[in-house]
Parts: sequence; structure tokens; C-alpha cells
Amino acid sequence: MKKKNLWFALLTMILAAVVLGACGSEDKEKEKDSGKNALDTVKKQDKIVWGVKNDTRLFGLKNPTTGDIEGFDIDMAKALTKEILGDESKAEFKEVTSKTRIPLLQKGDINAIIATMTITEERKKEVDFSDVYFEAGQSLLVKKGSSIKSIDDIKKGTKVLAVKGSTSAVNIREKAPEATVLEFENYAEAFTALKSGQGDTLTTDNAILYGMADEDSNYEVVGDTFTDEPYGIAVKKDSPEFIAEINKALKTLKDNGTYDEIYKKWIKE
Amino acid sequence: MLDFSILTENWDAYLTGFKQTLLVSLLALVGSFALGTFLAILQIAPIKVCNWIGTAYVEFFRNIPLLIIAFFLYTALPTLKIQLDGFQAGTLALIIYTAAFIADAIRAGILAVHKGQSEAARSSGLTYIQTMWYVVLPQAIKIVIPPLGNQFINLVKNSSILTILAAGELMYQADLISSRTFVTFEVYIFVALFYLVITIPLSSAVRYLEQRLARTS
Amino acid sequence: MIEFNNVNKFYGDFQVLKNIELKIEKGEVVVIVGPSGSGKSTLLRCMNKLESITTGVLTVNDLVLSDKKTDVNKLRRHIGMVFQHFNLYPHKTVLDNITLAPMKALKQSKEKAQQTARMYLEKVGIPDKADAFPAQLSGGQQQRVAIARGLAMHPDVMLFDEPTSALDPEMIGEVLDVMKSLAKEGMTMVVVTHEMGFAREVADRIIFIDKGQILEDTNPEAFFKEPKEDRAKLFLSRILNH
Repeated sequence: MKKKNLWFALLTMILAAVVLGACGSEDKEKEKDSGKNALDTVKKQDKIVWGVKNDTRLFGLKNPTTGDIEGFDIDMAKALTKEILGDESKAEFKEVTSKTRIPLLQKGDINAIIATMTITEERKKEVDFSDVYFEAGQSLLVKKGSSIKSIDDIKKGTKVLAVKGSTSAVNIREKAPEATVLEFENYAEAFTALKSGQGDTLTTDNAILYGMADEDSNYEVVGDTFTDEPYGIAVKKDSPEFIAEINKALKTLKDNGTYDEIYKKWIKE
Repeated sequence: MLDFSILTENWDAYLTGFKQTLLVSLLALVGSFALGTFLAILQIAPIKVCNWIGTAYVEFFRNIPLLIIAFFLYTALPTLKIQLDGFQAGTLALIIYTAAFIADAIRAGILAVHKGQSEAARSSGLTYIQTMWYVVLPQAIKIVIPPLGNQFINLVKNSSILTILAAGELMYQADLISSRTFVTFEVYIFVALFYLVITIPLSSAVRYLEQRLARTS
Repeated sequence: MIEFNNVNKFYGDFQVLKNIELKIEKGEVVVIVGPSGSGKSTLLRCMNKLESITTGVLTVNDLVLSDKKTDVNKLRRHIGMVFQHFNLYPHKTVLDNITLAPMKALKQSKEKAQQTARMYLEKVGIPDKADAFPAQLSGGQQQRVAIARGLAMHPDVMLFDEPTSALDPEMIGEVLDVMKSLAKEGMTMVVVTHEMGFAREVADRIIFIDKGQILEDTNPEAFFKEPKEDRAKLFLSRILNH
């Protein structure tokens, strides 16, 4: 019995290795092929497939009744598609997560990522980024009427809630070393703790904090962002034409007021 | 090879966590033992309402996760204007949860004490409570020392879930060290050692007690 | 001192005691005999409310046991009881076994309770065992401790529930001797036993009970010489020819 299991395991491993190997080589071919000109691809297919989040309030959240994804990222993608291809209905959406978005882009399943993605040097090695389309950064969420108006109001003994292992937790310790930082498993638990009066303020990316404030109007985001984590639109590496086109469209939207309209629709400061 | 620098560099955090875990465990041990004993008596007392309350308590808290009790106390009690911090809520949750198991063990112990014992005590004019306290419980607890010991060891280990309340105990410190250093293996190996520092003496104490009490009967 | 008036007791549908009429006076030694399952232990256990009666009136020491308001703890402080299986507290020393009730129920001081305890240990013939644990004693010694435990409460009456049935034969004598000396001192005693020799020698009255009914209530000579009831005759012939 044991021996049989061993053989089975070995066989499975060999099979897995073969399959994975095949996938890998396929990946490389596609990459070579489509690396030429992402803008041409988009124009040829006459649509843009956007990778978007489906679980991030205000940016990309699936509406359970309609099944549509809604949010700032979605509206931006539609407006950009309209600028580039002339019609916003030519925008198609594919749900991605932080883990899947880059592989999907590289495989050619999506043409661009607009999914609360921070521009970092690390990521620039793998994808091309557009200009900043949302000035994200770490901020503070407090109960309305709180004496905390900005990071300068965090004094000794102020309880700051954060998520375990997040960069926000590290940042807040640097920027406000006197604070008592309590770290929780995830955003939901941290927010619940804030609502239960277990802390004075909650800190993380403003994009997430706006979502929380939107969910419970007793809470508001205060102060400016005290870190810089700008969101950008990502496309396949070495696609200068496509990036140029996106940046041009982005500028148009900002100039003609469409951007502000979309911004105000979703982000209530 | 284990990277011992994780231990030396985070010694203070480990020590803080260790002290906190030790304190939580001690408080919860005393609390859950007292509450558990009380519940066991409720369950077997000759009053129907008491039985019902005792049994309902045990069945309820034994069958829901400790994590939920802890989180509930931490986040729901404030709506009743009872503000407990992570340490208090966590300790209370451990007491409430563990007491259900201890009650069950002690109840079994009480039932295992020969009926003649309480008859002798009652017929000499002792009240029900006195009979329980001086005659039945000491014998019951002796019978249930091994299962009680197990419950106490479980309690120490269960205190690790207090990490979700940011209670500052061992597991919380380990989580923080791990998320800061991106090391998991060593961080949790060392934290396991700290738990052993509490649980191994606890099991030996239980074994010692068991042997010592065995001599008197 | 103890009075049963038309007492009945049921376990569900099963009637254990039927129309019990019984009066025991102060200073009497009453021995209850009967086949096993006859209800004799139950009758005894009703006297300190270890069992409660279903109908009728039971008065002990001027307290009405059938009345719910009667303070049963107060009643029991004046009634000593000795069990078949001794029921000593195994986790306590002999001395602590005896002093527990006087200290907790009568609120005696430790010194006084211990003094009394030692006196009764002397009386039952094992003063040297005060600091022993029950498990270290023989059955006969344990039962004598149990008697001392009952006496330490200075009871008005002592109840014995088959006190020698669990003993090895060579130890029965030492327990019966203690009981005989108690009887001589005028202690009111109710004894359930199979020891017919003891009954004949010590009892003022013999109660014969079968199937929950008192069939004979007479003096020992009459009972052992010529019992009126056939069932009593049968019982005696069995037990004496044994």
C-alpha cells in the first residue's frame, strides 16, 4: 500500500513537471510575439481588455445584484477607452488580483491593468507604467469629531490600529514613534476594532480608508497622505506607443474635467 | 541550521510576549477553574433551573470557537459601554471558553464520587454546599486531575489566539517579528520553545500532584 | 421520638413501604429485620430523610419530616447514621473525618471538636489511629471510626444500616461490641441487621418487615420463640439454619 502511494506521488510529480514546463515555454513564445506593439494589438482587436479589481470598494467592486464591476478604476478605464478607441463600450473587464494581474498581462489575456496598482521601481522591471492617475498614500481614518486631524496629532499613548505586517504599520512607527500600534489580521478586523473604540485611529492606504468611510459615514479620512504610493496604469513591458496614448488620453480627461467628475463621484473627501 | 540571531535580536519582544502569555495563562487558569467548578455544581445541583443553566452554558461555549468568543468580547461589549482591551477581553474569553471544558471534567468527577460519600456528609447535618466543598469536590478533583491538567495545557496553547486582539502575548510578538523580518521558520520555532517553557513544567506539576494525592487514598 | 403515621412510599408504581405505623421511644433499641428487598433499609433511611416519604406523616424529634418547611439539616444534626460501607471520607484523616460535621454544622472550635473526637476514638477502642487515613484501617476499624463520627455530634438517636454486612466475619464482633456498649448506656438506636444474636441480646423490640409491611413488632423472646406470621417463621428458619 505504501509503495503504491509512493509510485503514485512520483508519477504525479513527473506529470506536473512536464505540464509546467510546457506552460513555461508557451509563455515565452507569446511574450515574444506580442511584445512588438501593444497599441497595434489593441487597435486591431478594436477593444481594450482591462484587468480590474473586484473586491476593492470605490475602485473596483463587483455589484452582487447586477454582476457588474463598479468603481473609480472602472470609470477611468471606460473614459480612457473612449479617448483611445472612440467608444467606451469597447472597454472589456477581466477580474484580477494583486497576484494574478502581472502574469495575466504578460500572457496577453489583458491589455492593461487599472487595479489600485502602486508604481514601484520593482514593478517597473516587469511592466510599463503610465503617469499617475491616483495619488494614493498612507493616511488616517478617525471617528468624526476626533481630536486627531493629522499625523501631527498622534501623541504618546495614542492607539493606532494597523494590519499585521503591512508597510503602513512600519511607516507609522517611523513617522509617529510615540504611538501605541496595535496590529490586526486584516482590514475588516482593524476597522471593527476602531468601531469598538479599541483604538483612536486606523492607518493604511487612503484608497482603502475612503472605502471604509464610504461604508460607515461616522468615520472620515483626515490629514494629507504622509507616504507616496501613486497608482498607475500598467501595460506590457516595452510598449512606449501604448503608454504615450494612455498618457495623452489621461491628460485630456484631466483637462476637460472628466477626471474630476469621476473622482468626485467616488472619492468623498 | 537555525538562525539564532532572530532570537537574540528580538529577545525583548519574545520576553514581553512570554510574560504576557504567562500572566494571561495564570489568570485564566484560576478563573476558569473557579467558574468551571461552579458550573459543574450548577449542572448537578438538585434544582432544575440550575441544571438547565449549567448545561446550556457548557453546551454553548464548548461548541463555538474560542476565536469568536474573544472577538465578540473585544468588539461587541463596547456597545454595552464595557470597554475591554485586548488583554482583558482575551483573558475573559479564555476563562469563559475553558470553564466549559473544566465544568464537564469536574462534573464527571463529581458523579464518579461514590454516592455514600455525600449521603454520609448530608446525614451528619452538613448542607449541600458544605458537602460539595469539604467532601465531594476534593475527591472529584483528585479523580479529574489528569483531564484538568490537559485542559490547563490547552488553555496555555489556546492563549495564542489572543494575537488577533493585539493582546501583546507570545503569538502576537511572533507575528510582528515575522512580518518585520520575513522569517517564519525560526520565529515560530522559538515561540514554540517559549510555550514549552510554560507547558512542560505545568504537565510535570500535574503529574506530581496526581502522584502525591494518590498516596492518601 | 420517632413516629410513623400511615406512611407510604412509592418508587414510581412500586410501593416500597405500606401503611407504616411505628413509634420508637427515647432510650429504646429497635432492631429491624426482614428479607433483602423487604424495605427495611428504606424505612431506616426515611428517619433522617435520606429518602422522603410519599404519603402519611413522619415525625422525628418533634419535627415533621413530611413538611417541606422542616429544616432537614437541623434534623440530621441530632441523628447519627452508620452505613454498611462505612462511607468514611478517604481524603481526610480519621480525626478530620470525625471533626468535620461538629466544626461545620455545629460550629464547634477545632480544639473542642478534636477533644470530643479523641474521646470517642478511645471509646471505640482505636485512639492510636487518629492520624491514619481510612485506607490504612481494617474494615472493622473503619466502621468503629464511622460510629465515633456519628457519636461526635451527640445525637439523640443512632441509625445503623446493616453495619456488619460488609465486614469479614472476624471483625463483626468488635463492631457489635461497640454497639452493645452504646445500647447499655441508654442510647436510642434503630438497627437494620442480619445479626440475630445481637438482636436477641440487645434489642428491646424486633420489627419484622416484608414486602414493605411491618408484620411483627414485638420483644425478642416472643419473636424468636414463636413468631406469629408464617413469613417471619420462614425468614427465621432460613437465617438461623444458615
